Order: sequence, then structure tokens, then C-alpha cells
Amino acid sequence: MHLKKVLTLRTIVATSAGLTLATSTFVAAIQVAGFLAGNAAWLAILTSGLLCFLAAACFSELNGQLPSAAGIRLYFGRAFNDNLALVISLFYMAVIMGIVGAESFILARVLSYAMPAIPPLVWIIVMFIIAAWVNIRGVKIAGNFQDIITYGLMLSIILLAVLAFGKINFRPENLTVVGGPGNLIQAVALGVFLFVGFEWVTPLAEESTDTKLISKGMLIAVGLISIVYALFTVAVTSTVPKDALGHSVIPHLLFAENLLGKTGVIWMTIICLGASITTFNAGLLSVSRFLYASAREHVLPTCLSKVSLKYFTPWAAILTIFFVGLAISIIVLITKRYLIFVNLAAAMESLIYALAGLAVIKLRQKIPAAQRSYTIPGGLILPGLTVVVFAVLLAAVLITDKIAGLCLAAGLFLSWVYVINGVPVLKERYRKRHPARRRRPVKVELEEQ
Amino acid sequence: MAEHSEITASLRAFQEGYNKNKRLKKMNADWDRVVLVEANDIPSGHTLILRKGELTIQEGSPESPDVKIISDSETLADMFYGDITPTRPYLNGTLKVLGTEDDVVRLDFISLMIWGE
Repeated sequence: MHLKKVLTLRTIVATSAGLTLATSTFVAAIQVAGFLAGNAAWLAILTSGLLCFLAAACFSELNGQLPSAAGIRLYFGRAFNDNLALVISLFYMAVIMGIVGAESFILARVLSYAMPAIPPLVWIIVMFIIAAWVNIRGVKIAGNFQDIITYGLMLSIILLAVLAFGKINFRPENLTVVGGPGNLIQAVALGVFLFVGFEWVTPLAEESTDTKLISKGMLIAVGLISIVYALFTVAVTSTVPKDALGHSVIPHLLFAENLLGKTGVIWMTIICLGASITTFNAGLLSVSRFLYASAREHVLPTCLSKVSLKYFTPWAAILTIFFVGLAISIIVLITKRYLIFVNLAAAMESLIYALAGLAVIKLRQKIPAAQRSYTIPGGLILPGLTVVVFAVLLAAVLITDKIAGLCLAAGLFLSWVYVINGVPVLKERYRKRHPARRRRPVKVELEEQ
Repeated sequence: MAEHSEITASLRAFQEGYNKNKRLKKMNADWDRVVLVEANDIPSGHTLILRKGELTIQEGSPESPDVKIISDSETLADMFYGDITPTRPYLNGTLKVLGTEDDVVRLDFISLMIWGE
């Protein structure tokens, strides 16, 4: 009995890579380069990618054992406890909203640079209205369209890099000058942001007959993305002076303009739009579904489980995200502190990857006989290494950006307070409104005399 | 552990609730799907067929379903009677729903509309 619709490896790779490709990641890639003395950003990016392989292996084992769209909520719930899983999941969703806010701000600046007559605020509002409308209508990015966008974007970026290398008669100089191990660790820590979301492809396990395809797809996607970002960053830092890049919200646009003039600006704007479509959509979609499921479970207010009777979409959750996301974007627009969200996301992602490694270890101890379609080879070495490596990277991000560290601590604390104090109140309220009911007839078993 | 007949009865209750809801039938008029409901602790398989908004139930498993719902017999019986929501067993891994995300979400919406919160 096979499912009628199944996903191909090509689409799984495109979805995983597409989720990580965003306008904000281009900016983050240049920030990675800013930490290093020479032109060695590629080294930091490839190292981050290599470390993300560890995380991908952990997610593959977790997904192979517990294939579900519930993702970390289920993995961490089974490995640790439900409260911790809920604390992490709730705050992670908030961080994704922050990423959406930063993403819309940077994209708005890109569009305003290409079309100066329209101010960024207008672009932000237009983008949120379109995203909310598309989500309420239940319009989905089809698999083939996702393939075209992602592979087109990657080819496009590689082509731009090759053009840049040709134009400046590129010579491999300063390619390994990092300026000290501390700089490299900080660069690698921020480099993790470039891969944020590659594991969001695990929910597709329910649309695939072979969970091994998801694992393979994630690994290929991380590898491809590492190469694309490494080439892109070296091309940008070799073409445009570092000083000009460091202070800009749109360094990738400056690079394209420097390379091809007006054509470059149009080309890069199209790339940014393509990169943002998938990230923006995936962010809104996953957060709205999470809010809906949490409301159905009575851990968030029940009003968030309201469903459109016409489109079968959780409109209340989508509208909530619309207003929260818009507010975050406007705050970013006013304060220009988008890097806090980038660093916060890098820190949160490192925390989740470290916990994923720990979850693999705990689940192996708790349920040693469980069926696993994939097991990380080498016993506990690689999951243990994942925990240590990402704990160090988490510390590196927090040392680099203390405000992001404070936000992370405050966010996790508030989430914990809510789970401990708010959730029981909601559950009790539900119990009072809906007294225990049982429609299923009680089975009467007669004992033999 | 529930018996096969209890799962059948729960599916009948679900079907009755569905067929009473004219709005739901109208909303699903263009959503033709074959759903497998399978217990993983007893030999029990049922097929839910949605055609032009009408829901029918058959004993046994279909050749190529659009969606697979797999869980232990107790959870299946409780869930289709509406005594528990699908969310809790889904989030704790007891319930597996295999299919496209749209189909999975729609099944949850149908359950919500039949049995309420």
C-alpha cells in the first residue's frame, strides 16, 4: 500500500536548500567575512556547513525513528520531557518570526534601492499583505516551482561569482588568512545562520515513502548551499572593498551593481525576491500551523484554532502572525538592529542542534530497541560531538552579541514561565468549558465463572 | 486494546457526524480522497472514501491510499468517536498521518468540525 503522491529526492533537496536561501543570509555571509582578516570567509562557511552535516545526521536519525511533521516538538518531548519541548518550540517560533521580520526589512531595502520612489515601509506592508493573503487562500508553492526557484537561484549565484572572478582576474590571495582562532570561531558561529531551516524539510517525511530520502536530501542541500555561499562570499569580498560592505544592509546589491551596473541590480533584486519567497512562505506557513496545532492542544488560546470554512486554513493564526511580523519589521525598520535577529537565530539554531545531538543520545538510552531507518555510525561519538560543537558555537554567538544573548535568555525564560504557569490555566479553562465526555461505549467484560 | 469492531463502530460514528453536516459535505465536494485507517497493535484496516462530498467506509485496506492514518487501536477508536482530539497523539508520536500536508490538515479540520474543540 503505497501513497499516491510521493516526493522525489530532487524536490527534497530543493525544499531544504530553498528554505535556507534568503535575502538576509546574503547579508549574514558578508558579516561572516567581516570577522576574518583575509579573504577566508569560504573557510568559515565550509566549516559551518561541515558542522551542519553533524546536525543533519542527528535530525536524520531522529526523523528515521519518529517521522512526523511535529519535528522537534516530538523529538525533544520523547527524549527529555514535554514541557522542555514546548518551551523550546514556542520560543523557536518567536525567533522565526524575528527572522521573517529581518528578512522583510532587508528585502524592502533591496527593493527600495532598485525602485527608490517606493519607501521600504510600503514594501514591508505589501509583502506581509501578499504573504497573509496567499496563506489564507491556501496557495502552495508546487514541488516543480520550488525546484525551478532553488536550482535557478543557486546557478544564478554561481554564475555571478564566476563573472566576478573573471572580471577582476581573480587570484587566490589571503584565502586562508583568518586573523586568529577566535575570529574563525565567531565567523563559523554566525555561519550557522546561513543554514537556518535546512532541517525544516523533515516534516515532508509524511509525504515521502522512504524516510532515507529526507536524510540524503538534507545532506546534499547542506553541501550545495555551503559551496554556493562560499563562492558568493569570496566573489563579493574580492570585488567590493570590505569597508563599504560592512556598513551596508544591501552588500550583495552593491556587489551586483559593481559587477554589472543596472543589470546587476535588477538581476540581484530578482535573486532576492526568489530567495525571500520560499523563506517568507515557509516561515509563515510553519508558524501558523504550529500556532493552530498548539491552540488545538490547548497550550495557546483556543481562538487561534479558528479555521476558514472556505479555504481550510487557520486564518486566526495567520492574521496573528501578520500583525506580529509586521510589528517586528517596523521595529527593525526604525531601529535598524536587524543583526540582533540574525545573531539570535544563529544562537537559537546552535542550541537546537546541540539539543538534537543530546536527544539522539537520550533516545538511544531510553528506547534502545526502537526501529530506526537510519542510525549515525560510530556510536555516541558523532552525536556527542554535535552537542559539544554547537554548545561552543552558541557561546561564541552570545559573546559576540551580548544583546542577542540577553534576548535568548529572556525569551527562553518567558517561554518557560508561560509553559509552567499559563498553559495549565488554559487547560483548566478548557476542562471547565468542556466537561469530560465519552461517546465511545464502555466495554463490559464478563469474567468467566 | 480496542477490538476491530470498536474501530468500525467509531468510524460509523464519525461517518454519521460527517453526513449530518451539510456544510462539511459541500466544502469537501471537490476533495476526493482514499484514506487508510490502520491499527498497529491488532490486525485491523479500514478504508474511508470521500467522493463528491460523500463519505463511505469499507472494511480492509486500499491499494494506493492518498492518506494513511496509523495508530494503536485504542487511540483510533477514541479519536474517531471524538473523545480525544487527533492533536495530542499526533504531537506525542502515537498517531502517524502520512500524506500531503494539505490533506493532513484538512482531516484535522474535518474532525474539528464534527466533534468540536
